[in-house]
Amino acid sequence: MQPRVVTGLGICSAIGVGREAFFRALEKPTLLRDLPRQPVESFDASKYPDAAVAEVRDFDAAKYLGDKGLRTLDRLTKLLVVATRLGAVDAGLKKDGTFVAPASSERVGVVCSNAYGSLEAITELDRVAKLEDARYINPAKFPNTVANSASGYASIWEEMRALNVAVSDGNCGALDAVACADVHFGSGRADALLVGGAEAASEALFVAFHRLGMLEAGAALGEGAAMLALETRELARRRGARALAEVVGFGTAFDAPENENQMIFASTDAMSRAIRACLDDAAMRPDEIDLVASGVSGLKPFDSAELGGIRAVLGDGACIAAPKSLLGETLGAGGAMSLACVVGWIQGVAPAAILAGEPRDRIRTAIVTSMGYYGNASAVLVRAPT
Amino acid sequence: MRRVFITGVGVVSSIGLGRKAFFDGLARGASGISPVESFDAAPLGRQFAGEIKDFRAEDHLTVAEQRRVGRCSAMSLAAMRMALGDAGMATDELRGPRTSVVVGTTMGEADVIADLDHAWIAGGVRAMRRAMLPKYGSTLLPIHLARAGGAQGMVLTMPAACAAGNYAIGFAADLIRSGRADVVIAGAAEILQELQFSGFVRLAAMAPQRCQPFDLNRQGLILGEGAGVLVLESEDHAVRRNATAQAEVGGYGLTCDGYHITRPHPDAAGSVAAMRLALEHSGIGADMVDFVNAHGTGTRANDLAEAKAMHDIFGDRRVPISSVKSMIGHCMGAASALEAISCVMTLETGLLPPTIAFETPDPECDVDVVANVARRVKADVVLNNSAAFGGYNAVACFAKPGVLPHPATLKRAAA
Repeated sequence: MQPRVVTGLGICSAIGVGREAFFRALEKPTLLRDLPRQPVESFDASKYPDAAVAEVRDFDAAKYLGDKGLRTLDRLTKLLVVATRLGAVDAGLKKDGTFVAPASSERVGVVCSNAYGSLEAITELDRVAKLEDARYINPAKFPNTVANSASGYASIWEEMRALNVAVSDGNCGALDAVACADVHFGSGRADALLVGGAEAASEALFVAFHRLGMLEAGAALGEGAAMLALETRELARRRGARALAEVVGFGTAFDAPENENQMIFASTDAMSRAIRACLDDAAMRPDEIDLVASGVSGLKPFDSAELGGIRAVLGDGACIAAPKSLLGETLGAGGAMSLACVVGWIQGVAPAAILAGEPRDRIRTAIVTSMGYYGNASAVLVRAPT
Repeated sequence: MRRVFITGVGVVSSIGLGRKAFFDGLARGASGISPVESFDAAPLGRQFAGEIKDFRAEDHLTVAEQRRVGRCSAMSLAAMRMALGDAGMATDELRGPRTSVVVGTTMGEADVIADLDHAWIAGGVRAMRRAMLPKYGSTLLPIHLARAGGAQGMVLTMPAACAAGNYAIGFAADLIRSGRADVVIAGAAEILQELQFSGFVRLAAMAPQRCQPFDLNRQGLILGEGAGVLVLESEDHAVRRNATAQAEVGGYGLTCDGYHITRPHPDAAGSVAAMRLALEHSGIGADMVDFVNAHGTGTRANDLAEAKAMHDIFGDRRVPISSVKSMIGHCMGAASALEAISCVMTLETGLLPPTIAFETPDPECDVDVVANVARRVKADVVLNNSAAFGGYNAVACFAKPGVLPHPATLKRAAA
């Protein structure tokens, strides 16, 4: 891919909202497992006394968006719209609610990953339909059940009209969003794109993870939205924008399990193929990579397959971080959360959540990896701005 | 930059399974609209939809696949197998990292989440079947197809609601043109499900019995369901295996109104821009277009916006327009993929599918509707319009192979 410049970061995460707060928290990292359990805020968890979710705590969308028009928005949408707004402002694409020339509404768009849609909206409307009457479901909330709703609202609120693309590839989606953005830049469809992912905690998501035994097996459910402002070098130069990093390579792979009846599948082969394709795409060698921000989440079979795939390409000494040990499993937003960490580390924040290997004094290049639950894997290569 | 060809199509629709049945149905103006049987719609005051009555997963899927998938993936898999058969392509020819799968949808496995939810509401957390949980997620559609087809490249879902088919086909073509893939299985699928049906009733958007796009007495949309899958190949890949190019995928346009989550912008600026972009990315002017497959939902807001867009693009030239949704209903995520396949028929045969149930022209929609009976014309280049919740506009251009300028010769504001 052509190098795309990261000029801003908008983020709503378990460790902070906004780039500066996020980087500050990243400077003083605490692993989730070392934090005292806090009561769940995003849904009524009174039935689950042991529930722990790495939430965006005290999240108040009105603080960023004003009071108007929030009533029918779900949590997923609010997290994403706030992250999108913060990212555009951080990049200097917008100021005081309007685009700053040469950036314009018609040339800025959104590419957003999400894995499971608004389970909050779907389950709420299902409950009304089953326990009361389908004729009482709130028509203003019905659009929230559609998987691209949050992404669409981001364009409505932020007037980003060049294009709006929602993608879904489980845990790999936010990295795939980077590839989508690259394709659309390549065909001249936009000058700048807010690119990343969002996932919101909900009772349904918690219950599903709990029922599948994933929380008990070591995963920590998280949530949040992270949106990077990506732009063409041309626009970044024209606006004299500050470059935080550059995205220079992408790779993805799918590998099916041999057993016909198997669904869930952790593939070392897909992971290593994705990383090799990513290095090829960036025309870089394994020894040029300073760090890997992995998707390691605490689920043993997936973690070992991912680490195996990384080491098969980058060697046993590779320095590997696990951002999810700080931020939780944010699924469709996961790759974007890791990208946010990598941008911080490239900007001089000391690398944290190191799982293996020794970080170099200065991080100039990093690969972000994500592994899906079904044999899919993706990788993105980020480097310091040139 | 390479040419991208459609070399196979597969269809699961309410007017027939497979290319031949679907094309025959379109040509004779068949209606797939019937009373809903899969749930009790009567209390909602609306009972009709383009529900597929004769699709049986066991006719198309292995036993293991039937255990793994929900209805949406089942229809997608069936459509993919038909498309591969149509393309004369064996699974072995697909195997490898240069084959990708891109599928559009609105809700994906909506029946799986509904079953889980209903069990949860009735019996609590323990009532949710554990084995059912990993079957949910729109992510799964391309995964199931990739497994069955041997694809090992990108597996991506594009949840672009009612424009998802054009999104998926457009992006799939991008993957091939830019050299990221040689073959992409692209398409979209959607099932009729109670929650969506109720939602459209509550939005006061649903007609009682018929979908009548551009008709003065239209009463709204009729929902439908289905799956449309296309085999997209680079020109060199198609030539290498002596495949027949059924149509060429030209450029496409995407815009976002940024106006309202469900309503199109009344000035139609977003859909006009998307049509212009589709032409620009195909390297042609509006004068080359022979037919427009309408988004044509049968709601007044859509019809007015679409008619206005036609005038803005074509001026006084009356380019024929028609809506397949009058026959199969609005298949939501699957709609523009099924309509893209209808465009393939038009390019192959010159036959424009009719807008059935068209009785009284709406003076506010001064467009040349292909009313009630299919029309035969010279059709070298067609546009496929779509729009969706989220303010999405997606317009794709399809053409007879070789008619469009080679993509490598196009000047783009590329970076």
